Amino acid sequence: MYFRNIIILKATPEKCILGNTGNNTSKMAVSLFSGRILTLCKQFQNVFRISSAVKVQHCAQNLTRYQSSHFSEKSSLVASSWSLSISLVGQYRAVHTTISRRGLEEFFDLPENWGESTVKSGAPWTAKQLRTKNSEDLHKLWYVLLKERNMLLTLEQEARRQRLQMPSPERLRKIERSMTRLETVVNERETALRLLQTGQEKSRPGAWRRTLFGYVYWRRFREYAIPWYMNRRYTRKKFFTPPFVQPYIRLRIEKHMRKKSREQRMKRQSLAKLKERFPHMKVPAA
Amino acid sequence: MPVARMLHSVYQLGNPQLRIFRPNWFLTLVRPGKEQPPDTVQFRVPIEMTKYDIKNYLEKIYNVPVGAVRTRIQFGSNKKRNHLNQRVKTPDYKVAYVQLAQGQTFSFPNLFPEKDRVPEEGSLEEIQDKFMEDEKQRQKLDPRRGGVTEWFGL
Repeated sequence: MYFRNIIILKATPEKCILGNTGNNTSKMAVSLFSGRILTLCKQFQNVFRISSAVKVQHCAQNLTRYQSSHFSEKSSLVASSWSLSISLVGQYRAVHTTISRRGLEEFFDLPENWGESTVKSGAPWTAKQLRTKNSEDLHKLWYVLLKERNMLLTLEQEARRQRLQMPSPERLRKIERSMTRLETVVNERETALRLLQTGQEKSRPGAWRRTLFGYVYWRRFREYAIPWYMNRRYTRKKFFTPPFVQPYIRLRIEKHMRKKSREQRMKRQSLAKLKERFPHMKVPAA
Repeated sequence: MPVARMLHSVYQLGNPQLRIFRPNWFLTLVRPGKEQPPDTVQFRVPIEMTKYDIKNYLEKIYNVPVGAVRTRIQFGSNKKRNHLNQRVKTPDYKVAYVQLAQGQTFSFPNLFPEKDRVPEEGSLEEIQDKFMEDEKQRQKLDPRRGGVTEWFGL
């Protein structure tokens, strides 16, 4: 696997690492305008942001300044109509546009939590909660969870090294659960889209194939650089069962059934023996 | 964690670069066992991660300027034996030494500083502390005797 490029988020909803903010319903109502309002809000924040940026981001800042000046011209016209909706969005917690600048410190918990024996944390995200989010939010949330998990793993390792107890180790489990659930939700969406577009349910196509000895297995297809008839290794393979194998398949099934029945008989007999010796014994279920 | 591995298409010249949308790689920042230069950070990374992966991971996700990455694979011990006298292997892992760029330095902070903790009301710890204090008080000599030993006197 290569890792040349990651699509990254700029806005990290830091506050909603665990548990939702409880504004799902209001979100639906505002969703129509939310895209445009979001950009407006971002520009607002850029205006008021104290510029403590690194050198690299200097050009980006200039850009935002330019945009904000552009915005101020428009704002006099727009302000009256937008003011209400903007104030609505002001209560909306999921929109955070602060860029995280902590760097390597994100591998550690907040300094006020250092040395505490317990750290409070919310409930893990449920699949139901995650289904109400759009894909972009889920993508951001993945990175938030990833950072949190890295932090917890670092803390766990340091605690192990110093032979101390890790504060609130249940957080790791919670993060794991949230991540698996997020993955399932994203997979659901991908499957739905694929079913609509191509009519295939599986992300990786495949088919049931037979081997030479009569076994049936699911063969997962993959891409090849050459067509199959030029592929020597593929053409060597046999995906059929010749008729003279049939008696052997029958024997195999017979062997399997005999083994099964023998196991059952042994179990029954041993249980009967035990019952004879200990008449008041509780019989284990099944 | 069962995050499905993404199946990339066969790379042809001119195709776009491969992308990972939800990376399921988790780094652990560890305190270096041997002393490192101040600009070097030590990580434990998944064994399948490459140097380029680590560089991209830190730069894109954490906004950390990375100068150079050196890696090695730590052999996990298989000396331990279980009750059937079979060898038990502790898993191998990759160690990455990341050198920061732009003159940045890093030192591992003390994550467990000594805090003067106040035990909770009614907890076992508090009762124990109280009991110990009382016992100490009882062991003390009578202050009215002015330090004269117990056996002396009537």
